[in-house]
Amino acid sequence: MTTKIIELGPHQLALEEPMYFRVQLEGDRVADLDVLPGQVHRGMEHLVMRRNLYQNITLLERLCSLCSNSHPSTFCAAVEDVAGIAIPERAEYLRAVADEIKRIASHLFCCAVQANAIGEVPLFRRIMEIREIMQRAKEAIYGNRMDLAANVIGGVRYDLTPEAASYLAQAMEQMKKPLDQLYLQFGNNPVLMARMAWVGVLPREAAVECAVVGPVARACGIDYDVRKKSPYGAYDRLDFKVALQTTGDVRARNLVRLAEARQSVSLIEQCLAQLPAGPLCADTLPEIPAGEAIAKSEAPRGELMYYLRTDGSDFPVRLKWRVPSYMNWDALKLMLKGEPVANIPLIVNSIDPCIACTDR
Amino acid sequence: MSDCINLTGEKERLVEGEGIVDACGGRSTPSADPLSLRERVPEGRVRDGVEGCVAAALACAAGEETEVTWRRDSKGVLTGWCRLPSGEALLPAARAVAELGGRLAMVTPYLPERAQEKGEREIAYHFDLDGATLTLTVILPLEWARVPSLTPIFRNCDWQERELMELYDVQVVGHPDPRRLFLDHSLPHAPFERLVPYSTFTNAATSKVLWDKVLAGEREDA
Repeated sequence: MTTKIIELGPHQLALEEPMYFRVQLEGDRVADLDVLPGQVHRGMEHLVMRRNLYQNITLLERLCSLCSNSHPSTFCAAVEDVAGIAIPERAEYLRAVADEIKRIASHLFCCAVQANAIGEVPLFRRIMEIREIMQRAKEAIYGNRMDLAANVIGGVRYDLTPEAASYLAQAMEQMKKPLDQLYLQFGNNPVLMARMAWVGVLPREAAVECAVVGPVARACGIDYDVRKKSPYGAYDRLDFKVALQTTGDVRARNLVRLAEARQSVSLIEQCLAQLPAGPLCADTLPEIPAGEAIAKSEAPRGELMYYLRTDGSDFPVRLKWRVPSYMNWDALKLMLKGEPVANIPLIVNSIDPCIACTDR
Repeated sequence: MSDCINLTGEKERLVEGEGIVDACGGRSTPSADPLSLRERVPEGRVRDGVEGCVAAALACAAGEETEVTWRRDSKGVLTGWCRLPSGEALLPAARAVAELGGRLAMVTPYLPERAQEKGEREIAYHFDLDGATLTLTVILPLEWARVPSLTPIFRNCDWQERELMELYDVQVVGHPDPRRLFLDHSLPHAPFERLVPYSTFTNAATSKVLWDKVLAGEREDA
């Protein structure tokens, strides 16, 4: 058998962001993999220390388009923890609404890209059309299709008027049937089964060893969701079950995402039903004292973690964050081992990789 | 040793004698079972006993004077903060956390306030313990800082340490693959400790230097 090393870039991997792989092949099967990140390294951790805490909300929102609400909301939670700010109850629910809207759109985008990677163009178009309902909802409520600008320190900077709430409820109603159909299609359609079932398998033990998070971990049966394990915002009052699968393959990862998207619809409905009246943001903010805090949230790709250290000034001494994709790249080595070259783009996209987040 | 004996009892109560190695986690052979403690304990059990269990394990592994301060937020989420008494305590403390089923979540190297004045730097290792977050902070000298690699214990520490090594002037001893991770080789070492222009740092200067590179590339292609 011949051993060969090939280099794959974003074009071959069907990625919309630049990431390079050095793949060692035995015949036409993957034997080893080296991930070469850093093509869009923007020194964001360097920049955040040269901007004040308020400017950083805007900067962090531009870190990544798909998790663009998770970054500012988790950062704000870290600042609020340092300063002992309790955000109003209405703001907790509104942050959850924004997070769940982004989660549905992100999960559907990932499933669509995978459909495209296996040549199922009509399915790709269908999923993007369904996702468009969420994009329109974002545009109507927040004024933007990607960056919602929903968070401020101490609460949120948008409100749901009765008209907006009823528009959102209507959009959620429209999502239910298509999401149920997609779940069945990804679960049972023979064409999708042939391409996705038992492909890119990550055994549970390997998932624990690689410390993967989010849908990649839950597809291997690891029952970990930050919203349940370390509840924040309104999630301690919302009812949902952690979506789990056990087979750890591409199909399982997509089923977890589609189940979560369907749950997000229910979570948004619960938020709209429970939404308490009251202020959107803390009246006056205290001075941010010297201190340190950890804040975590369940971003669409999994556990997002922020560490903030302050010295009493408006500038952070250190602001560090770790995105869910950061560990999931390493797991690709195990998922790809023994797979044919033709499966590489699908498997890489099945971890829903975020390069802007990884490189920062 | 009294703490070690108490810890044995505590762990046995926690997992009811299910395949746990001896109490002094840091000095024992790691368990052959790939599943962590968290995987084997019914949900909620670790969280109930996490404060006492972690304190005892760290005191046993890293020295009696190791203290953990716990904060519980309004939702009941725990964060533990511990400053290790010495850099040597990091490895045994990390092993103890691994045996408690901890997952390495993040590594934060930083220059604290008045770092130059004090001649000190810090590295915070954040671990997840079934929803609770434990932060172990080591204080290192500003010059010639060295830490042992935790990658042999936590596989996912690999990239965290590679990033640490390229951004800060810290040597990670025993890292299996100490290549640069994100930064180009043309950039100076440890840019977070130097005055490096942002456009140089991101390799994005729209200057003569950049165009020289582009033109040189074109010549190579031709």
